[in-house]
Amino acid sequence: MDFVRPQQGESLRLGLRNLYIVPTRFGWLWLAGLLLLQVVGTQLQSNGPLLLSFLMLGLFLLALHLTHFNLQGLELAVGESQPGFAGTLLAYPLRLRCRSRCEGLRFGFDTAATTAPRVFDRGDHALSVPWRPQARGLQQPGCLRLQTTAPLGLFVCWTRWQPAVPQLVWPAPVAGPVRQLQAARPRSVPLQVSGGERQEGSDDWRDLQPHRPEDGASRLAWKLLAQGRGRYAKRFVDPSDEEPLLAPDPAVPFERGLEHLSERICRLHARGLAYGLVLGEQRLPPGRGPAQRERALAALATCR
Amino acid sequence: MARLRPAAQRLPAFGVAAALQWLALLLLLVAMAGLQITSLYGGIATGLAVLTALKLWEARSLAERRLVSLLQLVCIGLVAAQRPELAASLLQLAVTLLALAGLLALELGEGLGWRVLLRRSLQVVAAALPVALVLFLLVPRLAPFSTLPLARGAAAVVGLSEQLDPGGIAELAAVDAPAARVAFATGQPPPAQERYWRVLVHDRFDGRRWNRSAPPPLPRGDARELPGAPVALAGSTQLWVAAPSRIEALPWGGGGRPLGRELLLDPRGELLVRAPSDQRRVYGIADPQAASFWRTRPPSGADLALPLGSNPRLEALGASWARLPTPQQRLQAARDWFAAGGFSYTLQPGTLPDRAPFDAFLFERREGFCGHYASSLAALLRAAGVPARVVSGYHGGRWVMPLGGEGYLDLRQSDAHAWTELWLPDQGWVGVDPSSWIAPPGQSQPRRGSWGLADWLRQQWWGLDIAWTRVWLGFDRDSQQSLLRRLLGPLLPWLGPVLLLAIAVALAGSLSLMRWLQARSQGDPARRQLEQLLGLLARHDLVPEPGETLRRFAARVEERLPQLAPELQAFATLYQCQRFVPVGAGGAPAVSLRQLRRQRRALGRRLRRLSSGAAVGKAG
Repeated sequence: MDFVRPQQGESLRLGLRNLYIVPTRFGWLWLAGLLLLQVVGTQLQSNGPLLLSFLMLGLFLLALHLTHFNLQGLELAVGESQPGFAGTLLAYPLRLRCRSRCEGLRFGFDTAATTAPRVFDRGDHALSVPWRPQARGLQQPGCLRLQTTAPLGLFVCWTRWQPAVPQLVWPAPVAGPVRQLQAARPRSVPLQVSGGERQEGSDDWRDLQPHRPEDGASRLAWKLLAQGRGRYAKRFVDPSDEEPLLAPDPAVPFERGLEHLSERICRLHARGLAYGLVLGEQRLPPGRGPAQRERALAALATCR
Repeated sequence: MARLRPAAQRLPAFGVAAALQWLALLLLLVAMAGLQITSLYGGIATGLAVLTALKLWEARSLAERRLVSLLQLVCIGLVAAQRPELAASLLQLAVTLLALAGLLALELGEGLGWRVLLRRSLQVVAAALPVALVLFLLVPRLAPFSTLPLARGAAAVVGLSEQLDPGGIAELAAVDAPAARVAFATGQPPPAQERYWRVLVHDRFDGRRWNRSAPPPLPRGDARELPGAPVALAGSTQLWVAAPSRIEALPWGGGGRPLGRELLLDPRGELLVRAPSDQRRVYGIADPQAASFWRTRPPSGADLALPLGSNPRLEALGASWARLPTPQQRLQAARDWFAAGGFSYTLQPGTLPDRAPFDAFLFERREGFCGHYASSLAALLRAAGVPARVVSGYHGGRWVMPLGGEGYLDLRQSDAHAWTELWLPDQGWVGVDPSSWIAPPGQSQPRRGSWGLADWLRQQWWGLDIAWTRVWLGFDRDSQQSLLRRLLGPLLPWLGPVLLLAIAVALAGSLSLMRWLQARSQGDPARRQLEQLLGLLARHDLVPEPGETLRRFAARVEERLPQLAPELQAFATLYQCQRFVPVGAGGAPAVSLRQLRRQRRALGRRLRRLSSGAAVGKAG
């Protein structure tokens, strides 16, 4: 049933020209059942099976329209999207405007399973449809299939839509070597490639500072505490580069290097460390926090 | 090897749907109770029900669950073919609604309660019904494709017996089981003296018992009464609903033309049926006052046969009347003899001796029930040279007028009766009831028990049932054709386009109604009440201004229509309570929607009174 040409554009209003409807396999079985009752009713000249079979035919004709009404007049638009990693399930945001109650709506992109049936009352609704991007960059989720078989499952009414608004996809985070440049400070010594294993681990600490609750138990200087010298938090510093500038490892393919960078950025961000990024001509000065992470990952996603 | 799926994969979304489907299956089994599984269609229906149960048991996917609902519908259709009674039809409707509710639950997912689903199911069926009725009434019916065998079953139901042996009965039990119901086109029962409903004709006498001879071949002229002829109950003037019986003969009045499938009229005046006997039978009698051909069919030698020497005193008495010139005089002699003989009616006559039983009854015991009198009179008349036989059937019946329905005559097994039929050359076969010579008719019958509330309720139900039967079973191929002729007249050749147009109109009407109902039920119900009220006030040019609160608007209305003040204040208070007062401990709002609706209606009535008063004032 996916032979129909998908609709294009940033929004879509469903109507007679872009909705398709055919009986389901159950619909054909239903017709066979009512035919059987017709034969029995005729053979026995009995009103009961005849009326029931006509009722089933009436339901069949009614279901044709009711199923179509579920989608007719529905307006679809793309909502504000959030970026995500390639290879994972991303939520593609959609906005729905229902003119009347819409029942049994299922959504699904080609790359992911269809959602469970949902009912939408009249009005505006926001929902997200999962999809699984395979590559980084500004990606379009592909063809959205919106279908319903409600209320009786006798017909399937569907439409196909290619939302024109892309979603930013970061490279998939894969652990691996990255190139670490010295921070952009005067005393920095460039060109030190750091492998997956560091010469001095981050277990080394250089300084103590008064312990704050947000430092957590892992940073607490237990020895000092045991000696009764108060609560201090260990301050960890990576001895090799305190604010590294990350770049793809030239030894691995470029795309793979980006995936390694993606993972390293996530790791550094999780530990609250600062980092910068060098991608060819593009340089991102060192920084920390969610905004830095977003910037860095976006740079990874969009670099060429 | 089949792999068992863990319970967690059983798609919990089918919770409500599964419950509804199990309930439908349970009711389906109830509806199938009493179905004869040895018959072709009964067997198919039973097999299908078993398959449905198994499928429901093992169903895991949506497609399988859908199939269960379809199987339930087909199954109930097969049951409907065999159980057309009112109660059974209601049960079948319930199963249909439940099966559809199960299907709706499958499609609409979880979150809807079973009440909502049942209501939706009812809505959907109601919406599909106009189309179904159009098709049912207008699509021309086909004749049966072929004659399939119908298995017969023996029903053990109390009733009449093919052999009448009054001498062997010591005590006659009054069984109050239903025998038949008759509705009359006139709406009135026939006079009491005409309420003799014949069933069996006993024409062979062996000196002790009256037996029924095998039906002779039918005369050619009555071939139209043979089975296969369509029923036209709607046009009949008497509608009969006979209880199941193991006898192949049905009760009828003896006049007119029987209408019904598988019915044929025997030359002795028996109405025979060839259909299976495990179900009640419905048939009509057209033109019941007209004489039927059997009445004028001349007697044969068998109708005078009397085993000589079996009851010598009876034979001698009968022979003494044979000297009288006419059969009427011989009958009168018999009547006089019975009237003067000191006979009495009893339900406990005791058994009669094997030798000369009727001699013992007529000349010694002189007490018995209808069978004794009818048998001995027939034997006496034969001895007097008058062709005679015994007829058994029902006599009387109770006229029941249900509330709001048409009246019917209720015949019970305790109304079973026997009388004598004799041949009068100028009148044909004439019925004579010797029991009525013995005691007044009211006392000649076994008394039945008191009529309590349960009986009254049953009568009302039967009244509905007979009305249903008339409509439901009466609509057959012939009725449909006459309806089409009446409805379409000269447009009959255009039946196809008319049918399509009618379907389109019915469908459009149903869909519009459904959408309207849906739009009406959407949104906030309290707000709807307010908007309806605002709509009423708007007719009086009272429209809220932008930004105006309800209180302020109410105050402005009161300035113009001070008579409305109490109701309007009450409505505003109720509305605000409904809106803003937090819900109580039970989760219900402080003010129910019903209170709000009541207040809105009161306001509407007040407004109408005001406007009509104003109109009267203006007119004055």
